[in-house]
Amino acid sequence: MTSDIDAAAGRLLGAYASGVPCEPVRDLIATADDAYAVQDRMTERWLGEGRRLSGRKIGLTSRAVQEQMRVDSPDFGMLYADMAVPDGDEIPAGTVLQPRVEAEVALVLEHDLTHERHTVADLIRATAFALPAIEIVGSRIRDWDITLADTVADNASSGMYALGNRPVRLEDVDLRLCGMVVERRGEQLSSGTGAACLGHPLNAALWLADTLVRVGRPLRAGDTVLTGALGPVVPAAPGDVFEARIDGLGDVRVAFGRADQDGEVS
Amino acid sequence: MVDVHALAATLDGAARDARAVPKLTDTAPFDVPTAYAVQRELVERRIRRGERLSGVKMGFTSRAKMVQMGVDDVIWGLLTDRMQAGASADLSDLIHPRIEPEIVYLIGREVRSVADVESAVAGVAVGFEILDSRYEDFRFTLPDVIADNASAARYGFGAWHEPRDLSNTGLLMEIDGRPVQTGSSAAILGDPARSLRAAARLALGAGMALEPGWVVLAGAATAAVPLPKGAHVRVTGAGLGSAEVTTR
Repeated sequence: MTSDIDAAAGRLLGAYASGVPCEPVRDLIATADDAYAVQDRMTERWLGEGRRLSGRKIGLTSRAVQEQMRVDSPDFGMLYADMAVPDGDEIPAGTVLQPRVEAEVALVLEHDLTHERHTVADLIRATAFALPAIEIVGSRIRDWDITLADTVADNASSGMYALGNRPVRLEDVDLRLCGMVVERRGEQLSSGTGAACLGHPLNAALWLADTLVRVGRPLRAGDTVLTGALGPVVPAAPGDVFEARIDGLGDVRVAFGRADQDGEVS
Repeated sequence: MVDVHALAATLDGAARDARAVPKLTDTAPFDVPTAYAVQRELVERRIRRGERLSGVKMGFTSRAKMVQMGVDDVIWGLLTDRMQAGASADLSDLIHPRIEPEIVYLIGREVRSVADVESAVAGVAVGFEILDSRYEDFRFTLPDVIADNASAARYGFGAWHEPRDLSNTGLLMEIDGRPVQTGSSAAILGDPARSLRAAARLALGAGMALEPGWVVLAGAATAAVPLPKGAHVRVTGAGLGSAEVTTR
């Protein structure tokens, strides 16, 4: 089993290294626990290489996606400081394999969340502020041919993330009914609202806080939590520029570099 | 030559008997202007029975729907006072009702030009529209659905609020307390105010004007869902409170 987990991690790391998506890893791992073991193997490796953990992302937070993946729970992945880009920055082509974008509420913590079980009050007290975010998800697995095990193993299909610049306190925004739009050149590609994320983005964050204590990597002061998509995900192509607007929270942009001189894109 | 009166009579009968009919274009194709003539005659039949015009509804206001129907403009239908639902809505005279969350405008004075429409708005509210195609399986072409008064059946709205920017207002629709649809008003042409202007444009183009006291249903923020009997539906909009209806 351990060798299978190593093999799955090796396959995914190979895709990162080569820039060529790999086959799914579900042939090597059976359960969600196995999949998190693969993710953890990669986490240990990356932390050992000196990457700084900057937060977590929550995935599979919409009812439609949960039904499509036949799961009844969200999942999580690790965010590293080198995955964060400033508002409006351009991500060079090929940085994220098979990129897609989604607009989310980001929470930034000012206290650790280390209880076995947290209340919403604990979470609100621990949250310094919210920011609008664009998550650039990606998949190391060919054609996004993923099951729950595949995406969990693949760090919950995380890629990069862009954060807005104006912090908003939780009392100043209705995270349940904040409208969301994603546009490219003025064309609306996605819209939704906070309730699409497990009923409320804080619900997703609560699940995360409890889950991370169970697995021994609790949320810490300073962590950023990407709570989950507020509407449908949008495929990204080289040269695209996206703007996300979340009512009451502000806006944030991200650009994708055009193909490099060899015309090679991922 | 299409007989506008006969087509209107067919649709009117389908609605009154709560029995779906095959789409009209199966028998003989007709164009969009003819379809609006059928719609007008269909509504005239209601008015002759004592109903009063109470507003307009906009359709195909989402990009996805426009692409699906292969159109590049919105459509509209006419509302009558009889279509307004109270706290309770009887569905027994509907064929296959669906419900969707709406942004609703209240017209405060007659709208004489498209540029005039936003200043004529007296209030905004969250609301719902109950759709009921008179066609079998909700299947129709563009002229069919226009002739069928854009599937209009019932509508309702919550408390009026001061006019405001509604370009990205979150909306939630619950049935029996469980969320069934979530979305943003941005799904309505990017901003429901565009739909309002389109309503003024289409009304003026048809030789009508939006009248004081009329409502404009700007369009759906999400896909419609089947509406069962015995259901409690609540649509909530950020800063707009909610609109509710119980079906029987």
